[in-house]
Amino acid sequence: MDLPPLSFDQVTVGAQTASVVSLEVPPHRAVCVLGDEASGVGLLGRYALALDRPPTGRVLVLGENLAELPRRAALAFRRRVGYLPAGDGLLQNLTLYDNVALPLRFGSDRSERDIEGRIRVMLAMVQIQHVARLRPARVNEEERRRAALGRALAFDPELVILEQPFDGLTPRAAAQILELARGGESAAGSRRTVFIVGQSLPDGLRARVELRYRLVRGRLEPEH
Amino acid sequence: MLAPIAVVGTHVARQVARVGALARFSFSAFEAWATLPAAGRRVARRVFLNQLWFTALQAIPLVVTLSSILSFLVISQAVRELGRIGAVELIGTLMVVAIVRELGPLLTALAVAGRSGTAIAAELATNKVMGEVDALEGMGIDPVHYLVLPRFAAAIVSVFSLTILFDAIAIVAGLLAAFANGMSSARYFDIVLASLAFRDAGLTVVKGIVFGTIIGTVPSFHGLGVRRAATEVPIASSQAVVGSILAIFVCSALFVAVS
Repeated sequence: MDLPPLSFDQVTVGAQTASVVSLEVPPHRAVCVLGDEASGVGLLGRYALALDRPPTGRVLVLGENLAELPRRAALAFRRRVGYLPAGDGLLQNLTLYDNVALPLRFGSDRSERDIEGRIRVMLAMVQIQHVARLRPARVNEEERRRAALGRALAFDPELVILEQPFDGLTPRAAAQILELARGGESAAGSRRTVFIVGQSLPDGLRARVELRYRLVRGRLEPEH
Repeated sequence: MLAPIAVVGTHVARQVARVGALARFSFSAFEAWATLPAAGRRVARRVFLNQLWFTALQAIPLVVTLSSILSFLVISQAVRELGRIGAVELIGTLMVVAIVRELGPLLTALAVAGRSGTAIAAELATNKVMGEVDALEGMGIDPVHYLVLPRFAAAIVSVFSLTILFDAIAIVAGLLAAFANGMSSARYFDIVLASLAFRDAGLTVVKGIVFGTIIGTVPSFHGLGVRRAATEVPIASSQAVVGSILAIFVCSALFVAVS
């Protein structure tokens, strides 16, 4: 059996009501964990990438506990995971093009010509070629989210972590974002494993997110 | 009765911890020179050049204005007053010790700290508040490599270069002042060059590098020290400029003490 790309083992989240989360995200599936802001559900993605450390428990990403890796190794490892942070996290002084190009320029030895080719493909895929030369402040929320997703997928990762990816989007745009993150279909399911955290999931996407959980009163409950 | 002592002690301990954190941060900025990945050099160079444009080139008019006015006023007064007591040769010492060696690096550093230090702190604090720093970490880019190192390097190069410019302009403005007060240019240069030792020039260069290091690290430290509230951005800018000025004055005093 395949190793789960992401697993939480007795991880504590939440400030007011502490919850202990144990969860395995199976490969080639889209999994979401929902909860209100106070539940601390937004911390799960940060714990996975070791941007924050959980008070207790451990998180394994692609079989590795990033919190135990030396800093340089953890930084290098994160390039294997796509990360769409809440609020997009685009660099405001770069164009959308340069934002999407940044991880490739900084984290790969590819030539600029190779990178340009890859970026053109990414921009076409997330459908923002027409605004690629604009800065984030000059485009709308949907275009920013698409650019941030393009950046997260720049290295074509096998696991993608999305934080509140659908907030403020139309149902159609949200569906497109999810399909882009899934990366198409394979025999085993979606090509990528997708882990989503947020406060809500649009109704139209429920069928495309195979496993849905909600953090309620300190417990992780499956949604049907 | 012990309560006031405890309050003072807590405050001192907090400040010492802060200085320790700043020292660690400065070390990490130096260390980043060696650990910057080869692929990231091109991107970091672009950020460095942008910062150099803002910190050095755009500051030239300010530095030229400060330097020329200061030097013209000081040398005009000195030629007049020292001439009355027959000690006009002392303008050489005045120019070299007071302006070239002490005020040149100090005023240049203060101008850059006020102008670029606040900007660096505000920019990095905004990066932090907007979640851009976490996003960089999340995509495997060390914020010290991408955000701090280019600004740190640009601040050192800028303060160093602007200090040399300040001193050069001061010498030329001093010439104009001396000439306007009846001294020949040959005599002015004889006096100034006789007072200028290699040690003075070396000290000026070292000061430029040290002050540049302060301006490269203190604002970055305060900028990246904010949490997630936009109200912290102006506080970080204020702390950055106050901290930089304080550190520049302390270092300037240490230079006087040891030289």
